[in-house]
Amino acid sequence: MRHLFGYEERSAALFLAPVMLVLMGVAVFPIFYSLYISFFRIKLTRPNRTPFVGLDNYTDLFTNELFWVSVVRTVTFSVVSVTAIAVIALLISLLLNQNFRGRRVLSTILLVPWAIPYVANALMWKWIYDSGYGALNGVLYQLDFIDKYMIWLGDQDKTIFLIANAFVWKEVPLAAILLLVSLKSIPSDLYQAARVDGAGVWQRFIHVTLPAMKPGFMLVMIYETMMAIRHFDLFFILTEGGPGDASHVLSWHIYVETFRNLSFGSGAAMSYVLALVTFALSYVFIRTLGRRI
Amino acid sequence: MHAWSAAVDTVQSHLNAFTNTTGIPVNYGNSPWAQYREGMVTKFVGGAPLDMMWVSDAWLPEWAEAGWISPIDEYDFLTAYNSEAEDFCTDSMTYNGRQYGLTYYTDFMAFFYDESKIKEAGFDAPPATWDEVVEQSLVMKEKGISDYPMMLAMAQESWLIEFMSALVYSHGGRFTDDAGASIMQHEKDGAVEALQWVVDAVDKHGIVSPACVETGELSGLKAFASGNHAFAMVAKYRLRMLNDPAQSQIAGNVKQAMMPKGANGDHNTVGWMRFHGMATQSAQDKQRAENAARLIEWFGGKANGEYKFQKLLFLDIGAGFGVKPLFEDAEIQAAYNTYGDVDTIKAQQALALKKDVVTPWFGEWAETNGSAWQSAILGNVEPAAAIQKSADLWDELKSSY
Repeated sequence: MRHLFGYEERSAALFLAPVMLVLMGVAVFPIFYSLYISFFRIKLTRPNRTPFVGLDNYTDLFTNELFWVSVVRTVTFSVVSVTAIAVIALLISLLLNQNFRGRRVLSTILLVPWAIPYVANALMWKWIYDSGYGALNGVLYQLDFIDKYMIWLGDQDKTIFLIANAFVWKEVPLAAILLLVSLKSIPSDLYQAARVDGAGVWQRFIHVTLPAMKPGFMLVMIYETMMAIRHFDLFFILTEGGPGDASHVLSWHIYVETFRNLSFGSGAAMSYVLALVTFALSYVFIRTLGRRI
Repeated sequence: MHAWSAAVDTVQSHLNAFTNTTGIPVNYGNSPWAQYREGMVTKFVGGAPLDMMWVSDAWLPEWAEAGWISPIDEYDFLTAYNSEAEDFCTDSMTYNGRQYGLTYYTDFMAFFYDESKIKEAGFDAPPATWDEVVEQSLVMKEKGISDYPMMLAMAQESWLIEFMSALVYSHGGRFTDDAGASIMQHEKDGAVEALQWVVDAVDKHGIVSPACVETGELSGLKAFASGNHAFAMVAKYRLRMLNDPAQSQIAGNVKQAMMPKGANGDHNTVGWMRFHGMATQSAQDKQRAENAARLIEWFGGKANGEYKFQKLLFLDIGAGFGVKPLFEDAEIQAAYNTYGDVDTIKAQQALALKKDVVTPWFGEWAETNGSAWQSAILGNVEPAAAIQKSADLWDELKSSY
C-alpha cells in the first residue's frame, strides 16, 4: 500500500475521509437503503408486517389510475412551465444584452423573484389567486376586465396553468441570467463577420446567436425540467393536489403515499421512477441539444 | 410527555403543579400540530422514550393497531370519569372495545348565522332544515344581501372530513355501519343525499360558491367574518373569534343554531376530540405506567377535585371540553355567554357523533374520498358515482387490513 500511494495521496485520503464518511452516511447510504426498502411493503403504521414484495411496488404503479393521472398532470405542468421559462428568459436575456439606460436597475429587479423563498412565493400567489380577496381579481375588476370575481385555483381547467404561472415567475430570473451569460460569451467577431456577409438582424439571430446559446439553453432546459418535474411547494400550498385531482402531480402523489399514508416502500418505488424519468429526460436533452456543441 | 404546541404555558404550569403535588418529575416536549402525527410515528418507530402523549381520535386505530399506545381501562380511577364525559368522547377513545385515554378537548361542527342578514331578508328565525337554508339563501340572493349566502369550506385539507361528516350526519346518513362496512353509497342512509345537497347548492341554486373546493376552513372563516355570507359551518370554538370586534366585522351578530337537518336527519353533527394516551413502552413498566396514569388523570380527569386543565384550556384559548359538569360551572357559563348561548352549545354537543371513518386505513381513504366529493361538486361526476368510488376504495382497504 505504501508503495502504491505516495505521501500526498495518503494525506489527501486521510483529510478527505471524514467528509467521505459523512457523505456516505447522509447521501450514499440513504440512496441505496431507499432502493432496498422499495422492494418491501413497508408501512410505518404496520411495523410488524413488512413483507418482501420484489418488484410489486413498481408494477403496482402501472395499474394505479391515480398514478397515470399524476403523470399526465406532471407532463402538462412541465411542458407548459419549461416552454414559458425558456421563451421569456430568452427575451429578457436579449433585452439585458443591449446597452440602455437603467439596464443594471432592471437586472437587479429581475432577481427579486429568484431571491424569494419557494414557500413565500407560494403563499404570495395563494393570496393573489384567492377568489374572495385576491389581488388578481381586485386588479381585473378595477380595470373592468371582469364584472364579478372569478374563481381561479378552484377552476379545474385553470389550476395547473395558474400554478405553472407562479412557477415560471419564480424560475425565469435564473434562466435569464444563464442565457445572458451565454450571450455575453459570443465573440463580437462573429457578428462582424456575419454583417460583412450581408446578414440582417434576423439572420444574425438565427445563425449566430441561437447556435451560440445552445450550451446555455441545454443547461436551462435540463435544470428547469428537473425542477418542474419534481416541484412540490406550490402544489402543497396552493391546492394540495386539488380541486379533485386537477393538480395531482407526481411529487404530490409521492408525498401523499410516503408522508400521509406512511407507505415508505411504495413511496420509495415512486421516487425511483421519478428519478429515472428525470435522468432519461436529461439524457435526451444532452443528446439532442448537446451533440452539436 | 409529548404534546403539540398549543397552550404551552398553561400545560407547563399545570405540569409544575403536578410535580409539586406528586413529586413525579415530567419532561415535557411539544411539536407543531402540522407535523405531530408524522413526528410521533417516527418517535414510536425509533423507540424514543415516551410515557404519555396527546392523541387525536383520528389516529387511535392506527396507533393501537401498531401497538404504540396502550389501553388505560384497567385503571378504574380513570374510567370512573366516563360517567361525566360526553358519550361520543368515550366512543372516540375506544377501539376494539378498549379505552385508550381521557379527553382534554372536544369540539363539534356548528352552524352559525348572521342574525342581521336573516332579519334583512325578512325571516324571524334561522333555518332548521337544509331545505330552509336553500329557501332563505335564495331570498338573500334575490335581495342582494349576499351572492353566496352559505359558506362551505370543501378544500382538500384535514378539516374536510369534519365538514363532510356534519353534512352527512345531519342528513341522517353515515359513511359506515357499526361493523365498519361502507354504507356511504346508500341513497338514504348513506352520504349521497348530503353530497347531492352540496352539488345542488353550488350548481342549481347558486347559494354556495363554486370556489368552495378551494376554500379551506380558515379562508372560509375569514370570508364569513368579513360579512360575505349569512350562514357558515365551522368549528364551534370559532364563535368566540366571530363575535370579537377586533377580529370580525360581523361581531355581535353571529349566532349559533342547531345544525339544519335533512329529510331523514335529526340535527346531528360531527364531534372530534383529543385525549391523553399512554405509550406502550410506559405500560410495560408497572411503576412508569402508574405514574403515567396519574398524569393522565391530572390532565384528563380531576386535579385537586376539579376538571382544572379542561377549564384552564377553555378560559385560555376557548377550547371545548368533553365533560358535562363543566357546563354548570359559573365561570364557564359567564365566558360562553359573552359570545354565545351555552344552552345551544350544550344541546348541539349532545347530538355530536364520532367520525365513523376513523380506522387504520382512514388516511389512505380520505384523500380519494375528498377528491371524489370535489369532482362531484365540480360537475365531473354524478354524486352517486363519486360516493360509489369512495365506497369501493373503503371496501378494498378494509379487506386488505
